[in-house]
Amino acid sequence: MYSMLFRLTVLFLLMGAGAGFASLFKHTIPSVALGVALGSGLWLVWDTWRFLRFLDWLRRLHETPDAPPRLSGLWREAAQRVSRLLRKQARLTRESEARLENLQAGLQASPNGVIVLDEHTHIEWCNQMACRHFGLDARRDIAQSVTHLLRDPAFVAHLAARDFEQAVIMTSPVSSEAHPLRLSVRLCPYGQGRLLLISQDITVFEQAEAMQRDFVANVSHEIRTPLTVLAGFVETMQTLALSEDEHREYLDRMAQQAGHMRRLVDDLLMLSRLEGSPPPGLEDWTPIAVVLAQIEADARALSALTTGASAPQRLVFPAAAALPQAGEIAGAATELQSALSNLVNNAIRYTPPGGDIEIRWEAQPDGTACFSVRDSGPGIAPEHLPRLTERFYRVDSAFSRATGGTGLGLSIVKHVLQRHEATLTVDSAPGQGACFMVTFPAYRVRGEIAAGGAGM
Amino acid sequence: MTEKHLSSQFDSELTSICSKLMEMGGLLEIQIQNAIQALAQFSIPLADEVIQTEDRVDMMEVAIDHALTSIIARRQPAARDLRLLLAISKITTNLERAGDEANKIARRVKSIVESASARKMPIGDLRLASGMAITLIRRALDAFARLDLDTAVSILKEDDLIDQEFKGFTRKLITYMMEDPRTIGDSLNLLFLAKAIERIGDHAKNIAEFIIYIVKGTDVRHSSLTHIESVVQ
Ligand SMILES: Nc1ncnc2c1ncn2[C@@H]1O[C@H](COP(=O)(O)OP(=O)(O)OP(=O)(O)O)[C@@H](O)[C@H]1O
Ligand SMILES: [Mg+2]
Repeated sequence: MYSMLFRLTVLFLLMGAGAGFASLFKHTIPSVALGVALGSGLWLVWDTWRFLRFLDWLRRLHETPDAPPRLSGLWREAAQRVSRLLRKQARLTRESEARLENLQAGLQASPNGVIVLDEHTHIEWCNQMACRHFGLDARRDIAQSVTHLLRDPAFVAHLAARDFEQAVIMTSPVSSEAHPLRLSVRLCPYGQGRLLLISQDITVFEQAEAMQRDFVANVSHEIRTPLTVLAGFVETMQTLALSEDEHREYLDRMAQQAGHMRRLVDDLLMLSRLEGSPPPGLEDWTPIAVVLAQIEADARALSALTTGASAPQRLVFPAAAALPQAGEIAGAATELQSALSNLVNNAIRYTPPGGDIEIRWEAQPDGTACFSVRDSGPGIAPEHLPRLTERFYRVDSAFSRATGGTGLGLSIVKHVLQRHEATLTVDSAPGQGACFMVTFPAYRVRGEIAAGGAGM
Repeated sequence: MTEKHLSSQFDSELTSICSKLMEMGGLLEIQIQNAIQALAQFSIPLADEVIQTEDRVDMMEVAIDHALTSIIARRQPAARDLRLLLAISKITTNLERAGDEANKIARRVKSIVESASARKMPIGDLRLASGMAITLIRRALDAFARLDLDTAVSILKEDDLIDQEFKGFTRKLITYMMEDPRTIGDSLNLLFLAKAIERIGDHAKNIAEFIIYIVKGTDVRHSSLTHIESVVQ
């Protein structure tokens, strides 16, 4: 309102000034009119100049967003309004960009792979996890047709059928034998014909499922075998008249089978106890000498039992004189005892009579300590090595079972060692004997332990 | 119809052919994987699946050939487009041949599973080479989708590794045969398997060469690696 008045005032003033200027010369009407015209002309020039400055600022605005030029009156208000509008626009853009970035960061943080597909199923965006799942490149593969890179026929068919109800299970294109990767992929429609692809890593889940299935099947099988034998003897005794000697022999065999089943159940219980209880702390220190002495006594008894006197196995243990300096281990004494003697028992059972078995307990240069059992037995082929600690896994099941093995020994060993943060390494080749090594971390051992010789 | 309209329709036909090719590639990858898994696990059902699916691979090759012939006849494409179409045709042939090799592996697996003596042979030694063959084919198809020269060149380099594996394996089989002539039959079976795996690697290499041809317009078959690298620069 004010600026309107101001404009009119300036116009009239200019017109008045022009007329006054003209009236200085002659007091005629035409010269006054001329003066008014001159005044309005001047005003027009001034106003046009201001308008041009305003326009110039507008034109350059998208390159150099300066402040509006210093103008007065209506032009100033126009400039200010435009500039305020632009500032608001810029803020809105910034805000929505930030929102988009937040959204993308949220999708990035998702533990699932996320791929945004446009209406032609071309990749529009994908998160880092999707790149890892499918071997994509988040920049280069944008606008690529998704089926050109995810070529698994099951997925292609799923996408073509636009099946949004079920997930499709597929092996990742980047899956390898060393790093298997199984994926569950779901498609979710949104917007107009657009799709969200969500992938989930189900490798561990599938493995656990398979393991559980195997486990139940194995346990049933392992229990059924002695049970069948036992039932067979019972039936025989029920139906046949047996002599006194036969009677005793059958009962002995039945006791043997029952014993096998008991060992099996004991081992299973031990395993589930190991799984269910918290790991042993670092407070209880056991002198390793006690453990070693017990292992040695058991081992010699077992060896004498299995090989007889004609060709005894040669057992070498750390010298008794060295034992007082053997140091201490932090952990559950009974667990360690059973794990380590399991390894020694295996060596004795799988090494033929006359073979050599050497047990060592030594400190390593890096502060860890190593318990090792080396035998001169048949050794183990490389394809079996990674599977030895699986439950019920045996290289030669008939032989192992005949010698009273349950196939759970090494899985118990593995569990116990895991609970003590110790590692088991097996070094073996067919015909070359086997060496099972247990390495305890430095913080679980203390005392003066003899350092490892050159042989280790 | 305007010029622009025509060419965009051509583009969409081209895209559809590429998609068909990638679909065939996807099926082929599974075929090779299954064949090799059938070998590793001595699985007859898996081998049978490969043999049955072979028809589908062949049908896809025929479909792509038809589409190519029709697009070339109707559109008479020039220069770059023609190059792409020709390369697609060659890649299709290579994929189909790789499919044949997978089929051969599956058939051999069936005869090996039935023979107790063959199962004792060093089949595990083929694992490394077969893993490499699968990876090479996958990477070749990825490189085609992305027209990725770097990967194409690295495939040409890596194919040598499979060849080396093959040679090492052959030497090993020869020692087997010399030590015990009774293993000759089984050794030959394994040799055929190894050869099939090596050929799959060769097909991946051929595909990589056609990718370079599409992008650079130079036929790099039978050229040395250094020459190829200078072309790609
Ligand atoms: N020192 C060894 N030499 C050769 N083979 C071995 C040796 N130790 C273990 N194995 C192989 O590993 C398999 C698994 O051993 P593990 O101790 O788990 O089971 P097991 O000895 O059969 O039964 P148990 O539960 O009674 O120990 C054995 O069946 C055997 O084939
Ligand atoms: Mg055992």
